[in-house]
Amino acid sequence: MIRIWQIAYKNLLRKKVRSILTITGIAMSAWVLVSLLGFNKGYENALNRDIDSMGYQVLVAAKGCPYEAATLMLKGGTGLRYMDESIARDIQRYSEVKVITPMVMQAVFDPNKGESGGISAYLGVDPKTFPGMKGYFQFQQGKWFTDPNAAEAVMGYEAAELEQREVGDKILIPEKNVELAVVGVLKRTGTQDDGTIFVPFRTVQRVFGVAGKLTAIGVQVDKNARIADVEQKMYDLPDVQVVSLAQVKQTIISLVATARVMVFSIAVIAVLIAMVGVVNTILMSVFERFQEIGILKSMGALPGDVFRLIWIETFILCLLGGIAGNALALGLVRVTDILIRRLLPYSPTGSLVMIDLPLASIAMAAIIGVGLLSGLYPAWKAARIRPIESIRSQEA
Amino acid sequence: MKKIIIFVIMLIFSAPRLYAAVGCDLNDPDRDVKRLFPGSTGFKTIYVSIDRKGGQPMLQRIEKRLGDSFHGLYETIDVPYTLYEIYRGKEKIGYIHGVNQKGQYGGIQVFLSLDLKGVIRSLYFQKLTNREAALLRSPAFGIQFTGLTLGSFNGYDVKTGTATQGPVAAIRNPAAGAEQDFRATLRAVKKNLILMDEFVFGSR
Repeated sequence: MIRIWQIAYKNLLRKKVRSILTITGIAMSAWVLVSLLGFNKGYENALNRDIDSMGYQVLVAAKGCPYEAATLMLKGGTGLRYMDESIARDIQRYSEVKVITPMVMQAVFDPNKGESGGISAYLGVDPKTFPGMKGYFQFQQGKWFTDPNAAEAVMGYEAAELEQREVGDKILIPEKNVELAVVGVLKRTGTQDDGTIFVPFRTVQRVFGVAGKLTAIGVQVDKNARIADVEQKMYDLPDVQVVSLAQVKQTIISLVATARVMVFSIAVIAVLIAMVGVVNTILMSVFERFQEIGILKSMGALPGDVFRLIWIETFILCLLGGIAGNALALGLVRVTDILIRRLLPYSPTGSLVMIDLPLASIAMAAIIGVGLLSGLYPAWKAARIRPIESIRSQEA
Repeated sequence: MKKIIIFVIMLIFSAPRLYAAVGCDLNDPDRDVKRLFPGSTGFKTIYVSIDRKGGQPMLQRIEKRLGDSFHGLYETIDVPYTLYEIYRGKEKIGYIHGVNQKGQYGGIQVFLSLDLKGVIRSLYFQKLTNREAALLRSPAFGIQFTGLTLGSFNGYDVKTGTATQGPVAAIRNPAAGAEQDFRATLRAVKKNLILMDEFVFGSR
Protein backbone atom coordinates (compact mmCIF):
# COMPACT_ATOMS: atom_id res chain seq x y z
CA MET A 1 0.00 0.00 0.00
CA ILE A 2 1.32 3.40 -0.97
CA ARG A 3 2.13 5.66 1.96
CA ILE A 4 1.41 9.38 2.33
CA TRP A 5 5.18 10.09 2.39
CA GLN A 6 5.62 8.40 -0.97
CA ILE A 7 2.74 10.42 -2.46
CA ALA A 8 4.26 13.64 -1.17
CA TYR A 9 7.69 12.72 -2.55
CA LYS A 10 6.27 11.79 -5.96
CA ASN A 11 4.28 15.05 -6.06
CA LEU A 12 7.51 16.99 -5.66
CA LEU A 13 9.16 14.97 -8.45
CA ARG A 14 6.37 15.98 -10.85
CA LYS A 15 7.83 19.51 -11.03
CA LYS A 16 11.52 18.72 -10.66
CA VAL A 17 12.96 22.08 -11.69
CA ARG A 18 10.63 23.99 -9.38
CA SER A 19 11.40 21.67 -6.46
CA ILE A 20 15.17 21.90 -7.07
CA LEU A 21 15.05 25.69 -7.25
CA THR A 22 13.08 25.84 -3.98
CA ILE A 23 15.52 23.45 -2.31
CA THR A 24 18.41 25.58 -3.61
CA GLY A 25 16.83 28.70 -2.12
CA ILE A 26 16.40 26.98 1.24
CA ALA A 27 19.95 25.58 1.02
CA MET A 28 21.43 29.01 0.41
CA SER A 29 19.65 30.53 3.39
CA ALA A 30 20.57 27.51 5.54
CA TRP A 31 24.19 27.94 4.45
CA VAL A 32 24.16 31.60 5.52
CA LEU A 33 22.45 30.74 8.80
CA VAL A 34 24.80 27.85 9.71
CA SER A 35 27.89 29.84 8.72
CA LEU A 36 26.84 32.79 10.83
CA LEU A 37 25.95 30.66 13.83
CA GLY A 38 29.32 28.95 13.33
CA PHE A 39 31.03 32.33 13.22
CA ASN A 40 29.26 33.35 16.42
CA LYS A 41 30.69 30.33 18.17
CA GLY A 42 34.05 30.16 16.40
CA TYR A 43 34.97 33.81 16.89
CA GLU A 44 34.52 33.67 20.64
CA ASN A 45 36.43 30.38 20.86
CA ALA A 46 39.29 31.74 18.75
CA LEU A 47 39.44 34.88 20.86
CA ASN A 48 39.47 32.87 24.09
CA ARG A 49 42.20 30.62 22.70
CA ASP A 50 44.33 33.62 21.67
CA ILE A 51 43.95 35.23 25.06
CA ASP A 52 44.54 32.01 27.01
CA SER A 53 47.65 31.34 24.95
CA MET A 54 49.21 34.51 26.30
CA GLY A 55 49.92 32.68 29.53
CA TYR A 56 49.03 35.58 31.83
CA GLN A 57 45.75 37.04 32.98
CA VAL A 58 46.75 40.65 33.46
CA LEU A 59 49.01 42.90 31.43
CA VAL A 60 50.54 45.99 32.92
CA ALA A 61 51.67 48.56 30.36
CA ALA A 62 52.90 52.14 30.44
CA LYS A 63 50.13 54.71 30.76
CA GLY A 64 48.34 55.66 27.55
CA CYS A 65 45.30 54.69 25.61
CA PRO A 66 44.00 51.27 26.70
CA TYR A 67 43.59 50.21 23.09
CA GLU A 68 47.31 50.65 22.59
CA ALA A 69 47.86 48.00 25.20
CA ALA A 70 45.38 45.71 23.51
CA THR A 71 47.11 46.28 20.20
CA LEU A 72 50.49 45.66 21.76
CA MET A 73 49.33 42.29 23.03
CA LEU A 74 47.30 41.14 20.11
CA LYS A 75 48.95 42.67 17.09
CA GLY A 76 52.46 43.57 18.26
CA GLY A 77 51.86 47.20 17.38
CA THR A 78 54.22 50.12 17.50
CA GLY A 79 53.87 53.53 19.18
CA LEU A 80 55.34 52.16 22.38
CA ARG A 81 55.57 53.76 25.80
CA TYR A 82 57.91 52.74 28.57
CA MET A 83 57.68 52.14 32.29
CA ASP A 84 60.40 51.73 34.85
CA GLU A 85 61.63 48.23 35.60
CA SER A 86 61.14 48.86 39.35
CA ILE A 87 57.38 48.46 38.78
CA ALA A 88 57.98 44.80 37.96
CA ARG A 89 59.65 44.34 41.36
CA ASP A 90 56.73 46.09 43.11
CA ILE A 91 54.18 43.81 41.44
CA GLN A 92 56.22 40.73 42.27
CA ARG A 93 55.82 41.56 45.98
CA TYR A 94 52.02 41.17 45.92
CA SER A 95 51.02 37.98 47.69
CA GLU A 96 48.35 37.18 45.05
CA VAL A 97 50.85 37.24 42.20
CA LYS A 98 52.24 33.87 41.21
CA VAL A 99 54.77 34.98 38.64
CA ILE A 100 55.50 37.97 36.44
CA THR A 101 57.33 38.24 33.16
CA PRO A 102 58.87 41.51 31.97
CA MET A 103 58.75 42.33 28.26
CA VAL A 104 60.30 44.95 26.02
CA MET A 105 59.03 45.27 22.51
CA GLN A 106 60.99 47.15 19.88
CA ALA A 107 60.22 47.79 16.27
CA VAL A 108 62.71 49.17 13.77
CA PHE A 109 62.44 50.30 10.22
CA ASP A 110 64.16 47.90 7.84
CA PRO A 111 65.01 49.76 4.64
CA ASN A 112 65.79 46.47 2.89
CA LYS A 113 62.31 45.03 3.24
CA GLY A 114 60.71 45.55 -0.14
CA GLU A 115 60.95 48.65 -2.28
CA SER A 116 59.93 51.13 0.42
CA GLY A 117 61.20 49.27 3.49
CA GLY A 118 59.17 47.72 6.30
CA ILE A 119 58.98 47.21 10.04
CA SER A 120 60.85 44.45 11.91
CA ALA A 121 59.71 43.79 15.47
CA TYR A 122 61.55 42.10 18.35
CA LEU A 123 60.04 41.01 21.64
CA GLY A 124 62.48 41.02 24.54
CA VAL A 125 61.50 38.34 27.06
CA ASP A 126 62.90 36.97 30.29
CA PRO A 127 64.36 33.49 29.70
CA LYS A 128 63.62 32.54 33.32
CA THR A 129 59.88 33.27 33.40
CA PHE A 130 58.56 33.62 29.84
CA PRO A 131 59.04 29.98 28.70
CA GLY A 132 57.15 28.79 31.81
CA MET A 133 54.14 30.91 30.85
CA LYS A 134 54.17 29.58 27.31
CA GLY A 135 54.22 25.93 28.29
CA TYR A 136 52.48 24.91 25.07
CA PHE A 137 55.37 26.12 22.90
CA GLN A 138 57.17 23.30 21.13
CA PHE A 139 60.42 23.60 19.29
CA GLN A 140 60.90 22.65 15.68
CA GLN A 141 64.63 23.10 16.16
CA GLY A 142 66.87 24.14 19.06
CA LYS A 143 65.71 25.53 22.42
CA TRP A 144 65.25 28.72 24.47
CA PHE A 145 68.17 31.00 25.21
CA THR A 146 69.18 30.90 28.86
CA ASP A 147 71.35 33.99 29.25
CA PRO A 148 69.29 37.22 29.53
CA ASN A 149 72.21 39.11 27.93
CA ALA A 150 72.91 36.71 25.05
CA ALA A 151 72.94 37.93 21.45
CA GLU A 152 70.54 35.14 20.53
CA ALA A 153 67.04 34.80 19.15
CA VAL A 154 64.20 32.29 19.05
CA MET A 155 61.97 32.66 16.02
CA GLY A 156 58.31 31.88 15.63
CA TYR A 157 57.50 29.44 12.82
CA GLU A 158 56.33 32.01 10.30
CA ALA A 159 59.12 34.46 11.12
CA ALA A 160 61.66 31.69 10.49
CA GLU A 161 59.84 30.62 7.34
CA LEU A 162 59.82 34.16 5.96
CA GLU A 163 63.47 34.75 6.74
CA GLN A 164 64.52 31.18 5.88
CA ARG A 165 66.30 30.83 9.19
CA GLU A 166 67.41 27.67 10.94
CA VAL A 167 69.29 27.10 14.15
CA GLY A 168 72.84 28.35 13.70
CA ASP A 169 71.89 31.06 11.17
CA LYS A 170 72.27 34.77 11.90
CA ILE A 171 69.79 37.62 11.77
CA LEU A 172 70.73 41.27 11.54
CA ILE A 173 68.90 44.00 13.45
CA PRO A 174 68.63 46.83 10.92
CA GLU A 175 69.78 50.31 12.00
CA LYS A 176 71.58 48.83 15.03
CA ASN A 177 73.94 46.70 12.97
CA VAL A 178 73.76 43.92 15.57
CA GLU A 179 73.89 40.23 14.71
CA LEU A 180 71.85 37.67 16.63
CA ALA A 181 72.35 33.91 16.45
CA VAL A 182 69.19 31.85 15.96
CA VAL A 183 69.13 29.24 18.75
CA GLY A 184 65.58 27.99 18.34
CA VAL A 185 62.70 27.82 15.88
CA LEU A 186 59.23 27.21 17.32
CA LYS A 187 56.63 24.91 15.88
CA ARG A 188 53.49 26.54 14.54
CA THR A 189 51.15 27.62 17.34
CA GLY A 190 48.40 29.27 15.30
CA THR A 191 48.79 32.47 17.35
CA GLN A 192 50.54 35.78 16.79
CA ASP A 193 53.64 34.22 18.38
CA ASP A 194 54.29 32.50 15.03
CA GLY A 195 55.41 35.78 13.55
CA THR A 196 57.45 36.94 16.56
CA ILE A 197 61.22 37.09 17.02
CA PHE A 198 61.98 36.53 20.72
CA VAL A 199 65.21 37.99 22.09
CA PRO A 200 66.49 38.08 25.73
CA PHE A 201 65.05 41.27 27.25
CA ARG A 202 68.39 42.54 28.58
CA THR A 203 69.80 42.27 25.05
CA VAL A 204 66.88 44.28 23.64
CA GLN A 205 67.32 46.91 26.37
CA ARG A 206 71.05 47.16 25.62
CA VAL A 207 70.82 47.17 21.81
CA PHE A 208 68.00 49.71 21.64
CA GLY A 209 69.28 51.91 24.48
CA VAL A 210 66.31 51.41 26.80
CA ALA A 211 68.11 50.01 29.86
CA GLY A 212 65.83 49.74 32.89
CA LYS A 213 62.72 50.23 30.76
CA LEU A 214 59.90 47.85 29.96
CA THR A 215 56.93 48.07 27.62
CA ALA A 216 54.81 45.50 29.42
CA ILE A 217 54.67 43.09 32.33
CA GLY A 218 52.66 39.89 32.09
CA VAL A 219 51.16 38.91 35.44
CA GLN A 220 50.01 35.42 36.32
CA VAL A 221 47.75 35.48 39.36
CA ASP A 222 47.65 32.72 41.95
CA LYS A 223 44.81 30.23 41.42
CA ASN A 224 43.22 31.00 44.80
CA ALA A 225 43.43 34.78 44.46
CA ARG A 226 40.81 37.06 42.93
CA ILE A 227 42.10 38.75 39.79
CA ALA A 228 39.97 41.82 40.48
CA ASP A 229 41.74 42.37 43.84
CA VAL A 230 45.16 42.29 42.20
CA GLU A 231 44.00 44.65 39.49
CA GLN A 232 42.72 47.05 42.14
CA LYS A 233 46.14 47.09 43.81
CA MET A 234 47.89 47.69 40.51
CA TYR A 235 45.69 50.70 39.72
CA ASP A 236 47.55 52.50 42.52
CA LEU A 237 50.90 52.11 40.76
CA PRO A 238 52.12 55.33 39.13
CA ASP A 239 52.02 55.84 35.34
CA VAL A 240 50.84 52.41 34.39
CA GLN A 241 47.66 51.03 32.97
CA VAL A 242 46.30 47.67 33.93
CA VAL A 243 44.59 45.65 31.26
CA SER A 244 42.91 42.43 32.22
CA LEU A 245 42.56 40.04 29.36
CA ALA A 246 38.87 39.57 30.17
CA GLN A 247 38.51 43.32 29.60
CA VAL A 248 40.33 43.11 26.27
CA LYS A 249 38.09 40.27 25.22
CA GLN A 250 34.95 42.20 26.10
CA THR A 251 36.17 45.25 24.21
CA ILE A 252 36.81 43.26 21.06
CA ILE A 253 33.52 41.37 21.36
CA SER A 254 31.61 44.64 21.72
CA LEU A 255 33.43 46.04 18.67
CA VAL A 256 32.39 43.04 16.63
CA ALA A 257 28.85 42.95 18.09
CA THR A 258 27.51 45.64 15.76
CA ALA A 259 28.80 43.79 12.72
CA ARG A 260 27.27 40.59 14.08
CA VAL A 261 23.82 42.18 14.49
CA MET A 262 23.91 43.39 10.90
CA VAL A 263 25.04 40.03 9.62
CA PHE A 264 22.35 38.22 11.60
CA SER A 265 19.74 40.58 10.17
CA ILE A 266 20.91 39.55 6.70
CA ALA A 267 20.61 35.89 7.71
CA VAL A 268 17.06 36.40 8.97
CA ILE A 269 16.13 38.18 5.71
CA ALA A 270 17.69 35.33 3.71
CA VAL A 271 15.63 32.77 5.66
CA LEU A 272 12.44 34.82 5.20
CA ILE A 273 13.02 35.10 1.43
CA ALA A 274 13.55 31.34 1.22
CA MET A 275 10.36 30.77 3.15
CA VAL A 276 8.35 33.03 0.85
CA GLY A 277 9.71 30.82 -1.92
CA VAL A 278 8.43 27.75 -0.07
CA VAL A 279 4.94 29.27 0.36
CA ASN A 280 4.90 30.20 -3.32
CA THR A 281 5.99 26.74 -4.50
CA ILE A 282 3.53 24.83 -2.32
CA LEU A 283 0.67 27.21 -3.01
CA MET A 284 1.22 26.93 -6.77
CA SER A 285 1.32 23.19 -6.42
CA VAL A 286 -1.99 23.27 -4.50
CA PHE A 287 -3.67 25.44 -7.14
CA GLU A 288 -2.39 23.23 -9.94
CA ARG A 289 -3.80 20.14 -8.20
CA PHE A 290 -7.15 21.72 -7.34
CA GLN A 291 -9.17 19.04 -9.14
CA GLU A 292 -6.87 16.26 -8.05
CA ILE A 293 -7.28 17.19 -4.39
CA GLY A 294 -11.05 17.40 -4.91
CA ILE A 295 -11.07 13.86 -6.35
CA LEU A 296 -8.95 12.65 -3.41
CA LYS A 297 -11.50 14.07 -1.01
CA SER A 298 -14.45 12.64 -2.95
CA MET A 299 -12.74 9.24 -2.63
CA GLY A 300 -12.75 9.58 1.12
CA ALA A 301 -9.68 11.59 2.04
CA LEU A 302 -10.36 13.75 5.07
CA PRO A 303 -9.26 17.43 5.32
CA GLY A 304 -6.63 16.25 7.87
CA ASP A 305 -5.15 13.82 5.32
CA VAL A 306 -4.84 16.54 2.66
CA PHE A 307 -3.37 18.94 5.20
CA ARG A 308 -0.81 16.31 6.21
CA LEU A 309 0.09 15.55 2.58
CA ILE A 310 0.82 19.19 1.76
CA TRP A 311 2.66 19.73 5.02
CA ILE A 312 4.85 16.67 4.37
CA GLU A 313 5.77 18.11 0.98
CA THR A 314 6.89 21.30 2.73
CA PHE A 315 8.81 19.23 5.27
CA ILE A 316 10.65 17.28 2.55
CA LEU A 317 11.65 20.49 0.75
CA CYS A 318 12.94 22.05 3.97
CA LEU A 319 14.71 18.87 5.06
CA LEU A 320 16.57 18.50 1.75
CA GLY A 321 17.34 22.23 1.64
CA GLY A 322 18.56 22.15 5.23
CA ILE A 323 20.83 19.15 4.60
CA ALA A 324 22.28 20.75 1.44
CA GLY A 325 22.79 24.06 3.28
CA ASN A 326 24.61 22.34 6.13
CA ALA A 327 26.81 20.45 3.68
CA LEU A 328 27.63 23.70 1.85
CA ALA A 329 28.46 25.45 5.12
CA LEU A 330 30.74 22.59 6.20
CA GLY A 331 32.43 22.26 2.81
CA LEU A 332 33.01 25.98 2.35
CA VAL A 333 34.00 26.72 5.94
CA ARG A 334 37.49 27.85 4.86
CA VAL A 335 36.11 30.18 2.20
CA THR A 336 33.70 31.69 4.73
CA ASP A 337 36.61 32.10 7.14
CA ILE A 338 38.65 34.01 4.54
CA LEU A 339 35.69 36.23 3.60
CA ILE A 340 34.95 37.11 7.24
CA ARG A 341 38.63 37.88 7.92
CA ARG A 342 38.57 40.41 5.09
CA LEU A 343 35.57 42.15 6.61
CA LEU A 344 36.62 42.32 10.26
CA PRO A 345 38.95 44.98 11.67
CA TYR A 346 40.56 42.44 14.00
CA SER A 347 40.32 38.69 13.80
CA PRO A 348 41.95 36.22 16.14
CA THR A 349 44.10 33.39 14.87
CA GLY A 350 42.69 29.92 14.21
CA SER A 351 39.37 29.09 12.61
CA LEU A 352 36.72 31.82 12.96
CA VAL A 353 33.87 29.56 11.90
CA MET A 354 33.15 26.54 14.06
CA ILE A 355 30.40 24.21 12.88
CA ASP A 356 29.60 21.17 15.00
CA LEU A 357 26.71 18.72 15.32
CA PRO A 358 24.64 20.63 17.93
CA LEU A 359 24.93 23.83 15.87
CA ALA A 360 23.99 22.09 12.64
CA SER A 361 21.03 20.47 14.42
CA ILE A 362 19.82 23.83 15.77
CA ALA A 363 20.01 25.40 12.31
CA MET A 364 18.25 22.39 10.81
CA ALA A 365 15.48 22.60 13.41
CA ALA A 366 15.09 26.34 12.75
CA ILE A 367 14.86 25.86 8.98
CA ILE A 368 12.33 23.01 9.30
CA GLY A 369 10.36 24.87 11.98
CA VAL A 370 10.08 28.07 9.95
CA GLY A 371 9.43 25.98 6.82
CA LEU A 372 6.56 24.13 8.44
CA LEU A 373 5.07 27.43 9.58
CA SER A 374 5.28 28.63 5.98
CA GLY A 375 3.50 25.46 4.86
CA LEU A 376 0.55 26.05 7.19
CA TYR A 377 -1.38 28.37 4.88
CA PRO A 378 -1.02 26.29 1.66
CA ALA A 379 -1.89 23.12 3.62
CA TRP A 380 -4.93 24.79 5.20
CA LYS A 381 -5.99 26.09 1.79
CA ALA A 382 -5.71 22.59 0.31
CA ALA A 383 -7.61 21.01 3.21
CA ARG A 384 -10.52 23.41 2.65
CA ILE A 385 -11.01 22.51 -1.02
CA ARG A 386 -14.56 21.19 -1.58
CA PRO A 387 -14.85 18.19 -3.90
CA ILE A 388 -17.95 19.53 -5.65
CA GLU A 389 -16.28 22.87 -6.43
CA SER A 390 -13.19 21.23 -7.84
CA ILE A 391 -15.24 18.93 -10.09
CA ARG A 392 -17.34 21.88 -11.28
CA SER A 393 -14.19 23.86 -12.09
CA GLN A 394 -13.02 20.91 -14.20
CA GLU A 395 -16.33 20.89 -16.12
CA ALA A 396 -16.12 24.65 -16.67
CA MET B 1 22.59 16.49 -11.57
CA LYS B 2 25.95 14.73 -11.72
CA LYS B 3 27.53 17.88 -13.13
CA ILE B 4 26.18 19.94 -10.24
CA ILE B 5 27.57 17.49 -7.69
CA ILE B 6 30.99 17.49 -9.41
CA PHE B 7 30.99 21.29 -9.46
CA VAL B 8 30.18 21.50 -5.74
CA ILE B 9 32.89 18.94 -4.89
CA MET B 10 35.44 20.88 -6.97
CA LEU B 11 34.43 24.10 -5.26
CA ILE B 12 34.87 22.52 -1.83
CA PHE B 13 38.25 20.97 -2.50
CA SER B 14 39.65 23.95 -4.35
CA ALA B 15 39.26 26.14 -1.25
CA PRO B 16 42.66 27.63 -0.36
CA ARG B 17 44.69 25.83 2.27
CA LEU B 18 45.81 27.95 5.17
CA TYR B 19 49.25 26.44 5.50
CA ALA B 20 50.43 26.16 1.91
CA ALA B 21 54.09 26.55 0.96
CA VAL B 22 55.19 30.16 0.63
CA GLY B 23 55.64 31.66 -2.82
CA CYS B 24 57.27 34.85 -4.09
CA ASP B 25 54.95 37.65 -5.24
CA LEU B 26 55.62 41.26 -6.06
CA ASN B 27 54.57 43.44 -3.12
CA ASP B 28 52.88 45.98 -5.36
CA PRO B 29 52.47 44.45 -8.83
CA ASP B 30 50.86 47.54 -10.42
CA ARG B 31 53.77 49.74 -9.41
CA ASP B 32 56.56 47.16 -9.83
CA VAL B 33 55.51 45.94 -13.28
CA LYS B 34 55.47 49.52 -14.64
CA ARG B 35 58.92 50.13 -13.19
CA LEU B 36 60.43 46.88 -14.48
CA PHE B 37 58.69 47.08 -17.85
CA PRO B 38 58.32 50.75 -18.81
CA GLY B 39 55.73 51.10 -21.54
CA SER B 40 53.73 48.05 -20.46
CA THR B 41 49.97 48.54 -20.21
CA GLY B 42 48.93 45.45 -18.28
CA PHE B 43 49.87 42.07 -16.92
CA LYS B 44 48.41 38.68 -16.25
CA THR B 45 49.29 36.70 -13.11
CA ILE B 46 49.80 32.95 -13.45
CA TYR B 47 50.54 30.52 -10.63
CA VAL B 48 52.62 27.45 -11.41
CA SER B 49 54.32 24.84 -9.26
CA ILE B 50 56.74 22.03 -10.00
CA ASP B 51 54.29 19.67 -8.35
CA ARG B 52 51.49 20.49 -10.81
CA LYS B 53 53.65 21.06 -13.87
CA GLY B 54 55.86 18.01 -13.84
CA GLY B 55 56.11 16.52 -10.37
CA GLN B 56 59.11 14.66 -9.02
CA PRO B 57 60.78 14.03 -12.42
CA MET B 58 60.73 17.78 -13.13
CA LEU B 59 62.15 18.55 -9.68
CA GLN B 60 65.02 16.11 -10.26
CA ARG B 61 65.67 17.63 -13.68
CA ILE B 62 65.74 21.16 -12.24
CA GLU B 63 68.13 20.10 -9.46
CA LYS B 64 70.40 18.47 -12.02
CA ARG B 65 70.44 21.56 -14.21
CA LEU B 66 71.06 23.78 -11.18
CA GLY B 67 73.83 21.50 -9.93
CA ASP B 68 72.45 21.59 -6.40
CA SER B 69 69.54 20.04 -4.55
CA PHE B 70 66.52 22.00 -3.35
CA HIS B 71 66.34 22.45 0.40
CA GLY B 72 64.53 24.49 3.02
CA LEU B 73 61.00 25.79 3.21
CA TYR B 74 61.20 27.83 0.01
CA GLU B 75 62.39 25.04 -2.25
CA THR B 76 59.76 22.38 -1.82
CA ILE B 77 58.03 20.74 -4.75
CA ASP B 78 54.72 22.52 -4.00
CA VAL B 79 56.00 26.11 -3.81
CA PRO B 80 53.62 28.23 -5.90
CA TYR B 81 55.69 30.36 -8.29
CA THR B 82 54.06 33.58 -9.46
CA LEU B 83 54.64 34.36 -13.09
CA TYR B 84 53.68 37.77 -14.46
CA GLU B 85 53.01 37.92 -18.20
CA ILE B 86 53.52 41.48 -19.35
CA TYR B 87 51.47 43.11 -22.11
CA ARG B 88 51.54 46.26 -24.20
CA GLY B 89 48.00 46.50 -25.43
CA LYS B 90 47.17 42.97 -26.54
CA GLU B 91 50.77 42.11 -27.37
CA LYS B 92 52.77 40.06 -24.88
CA ILE B 93 56.16 41.69 -24.40
CA GLY B 94 57.82 39.70 -21.60
CA TYR B 95 57.75 38.12 -18.17
CA ILE B 96 58.59 38.88 -14.55
CA HIS B 97 59.39 36.01 -12.22
CA GLY B 98 60.79 35.91 -8.69
CA VAL B 99 62.33 33.27 -6.47
CA ASN B 100 63.24 33.02 -2.79
CA GLN B 101 66.77 32.25 -1.77
CA LYS B 102 68.38 31.75 1.60
CA GLY B 103 70.73 34.65 2.35
CA GLN B 104 73.26 35.46 5.06
CA TYR B 105 70.85 37.32 7.35
CA GLY B 106 67.46 36.32 5.98
CA GLY B 107 65.47 35.34 2.92
CA ILE B 108 66.36 37.07 -0.34
CA GLN B 109 63.75 37.65 -3.05
CA VAL B 110 65.22 37.98 -6.53
CA PHE B 111 62.99 39.02 -9.45
CA LEU B 112 64.01 38.98 -13.10
CA SER B 113 62.29 40.74 -15.95
CA LEU B 114 62.77 38.77 -19.15
CA ASP B 115 61.95 39.32 -22.79
CA LEU B 116 60.06 36.72 -24.80
CA LYS B 117 63.24 34.80 -25.59
CA GLY B 118 64.32 34.51 -21.95
CA VAL B 119 66.96 37.26 -22.04
CA ILE B 120 67.33 39.18 -18.77
CA ARG B 121 66.24 42.81 -19.01
CA SER B 122 66.71 43.67 -15.35
CA LEU B 123 67.25 42.24 -11.88
CA TYR B 124 65.33 43.40 -8.83
CA PHE B 125 65.87 42.54 -5.15
CA GLN B 126 62.53 42.79 -3.41
CA LYS B 127 64.00 41.65 -0.10
CA LEU B 128 67.63 41.56 0.96
CA THR B 129 69.06 42.08 4.43
CA ASN B 130 72.75 42.82 4.60
CA ARG B 131 75.00 45.59 5.88
CA GLU B 132 76.06 46.17 2.28
CA ALA B 133 72.65 45.60 0.72
CA ALA B 134 72.76 49.03 -0.94
CA LEU B 135 75.75 47.99 -3.05
CA LEU B 136 74.01 44.83 -4.26
CA ARG B 137 70.85 46.80 -4.98
CA SER B 138 72.75 49.45 -6.93
CA PRO B 139 72.06 49.79 -10.68
CA ALA B 140 75.78 49.20 -11.33
CA PHE B 141 75.48 45.67 -9.94
CA GLY B 142 72.13 44.90 -11.56
CA ILE B 143 73.23 45.98 -15.04
CA GLN B 144 75.82 43.18 -15.11
CA PHE B 145 72.92 40.74 -15.55
CA THR B 146 71.26 42.56 -18.44
CA GLY B 147 71.45 40.55 -21.64
CA LEU B 148 72.33 37.26 -19.91
CA THR B 149 70.40 34.06 -20.61
CA LEU B 150 70.26 30.64 -19.04
CA GLY B 151 73.05 29.60 -21.40
CA SER B 152 75.30 32.22 -19.82
CA PHE B 153 75.15 30.29 -16.55
CA ASN B 154 76.22 26.97 -18.04
CA GLY B 155 79.72 27.14 -16.61
CA TYR B 156 78.62 28.47 -13.22
CA ASP B 157 78.81 26.10 -10.24
CA VAL B 158 76.31 27.24 -7.59
CA LYS B 159 77.93 25.09 -4.89
CA THR B 160 81.43 26.53 -5.18
CA GLY B 161 80.34 29.90 -6.54
CA THR B 162 82.84 29.71 -9.39
CA ALA B 163 82.50 30.26 -13.12
CA THR B 164 85.23 28.95 -15.35
CA GLN B 165 84.36 31.11 -18.33
CA GLY B 166 81.62 33.11 -19.99
CA PRO B 167 79.79 36.27 -19.02
CA VAL B 168 78.95 35.08 -15.49
CA ALA B 169 82.68 34.86 -14.68
CA ALA B 170 82.83 38.57 -15.46
CA ILE B 171 80.17 39.54 -12.89
CA ARG B 172 81.89 41.42 -10.08
CA ASN B 173 80.79 41.51 -6.45
CA PRO B 174 80.60 45.17 -5.42
CA ALA B 175 80.31 44.30 -1.70
CA ALA B 176 83.32 42.45 -0.31
CA GLY B 177 81.52 41.87 3.00
CA ALA B 178 78.51 40.33 1.31
CA GLU B 179 80.14 37.46 -0.55
CA GLN B 180 77.58 34.98 0.81
CA ASP B 181 74.68 37.05 -0.47
CA PHE B 182 76.47 37.67 -3.80
CA ARG B 183 76.71 33.91 -4.33
CA ALA B 184 73.13 33.47 -3.16
CA THR B 185 72.07 36.02 -5.79
CA LEU B 186 73.81 34.13 -8.58
CA ARG B 187 72.22 30.86 -7.43
CA ALA B 188 68.82 32.57 -7.31
CA VAL B 189 69.23 33.98 -10.83
CA LYS B 190 70.29 30.61 -12.24
CA LYS B 191 67.40 28.88 -10.46
CA ASN B 192 65.00 31.54 -11.71
CA LEU B 193 66.13 31.07 -15.32
CA ILE B 194 65.92 27.26 -15.10
CA LEU B 195 62.38 27.48 -13.69
CA MET B 196 61.35 29.89 -16.44
CA ASP B 197 62.82 27.53 -19.02
CA GLU B 198 60.88 24.60 -17.56
CA PHE B 199 57.63 26.52 -17.10
CA VAL B 200 57.61 28.74 -20.19
CA PHE B 201 60.39 28.52 -22.75
CA GLY B 202 60.96 24.77 -22.80
CA SER B 203 64.29 24.95 -24.68
CA ARG B 204 65.66 21.98 -22.76
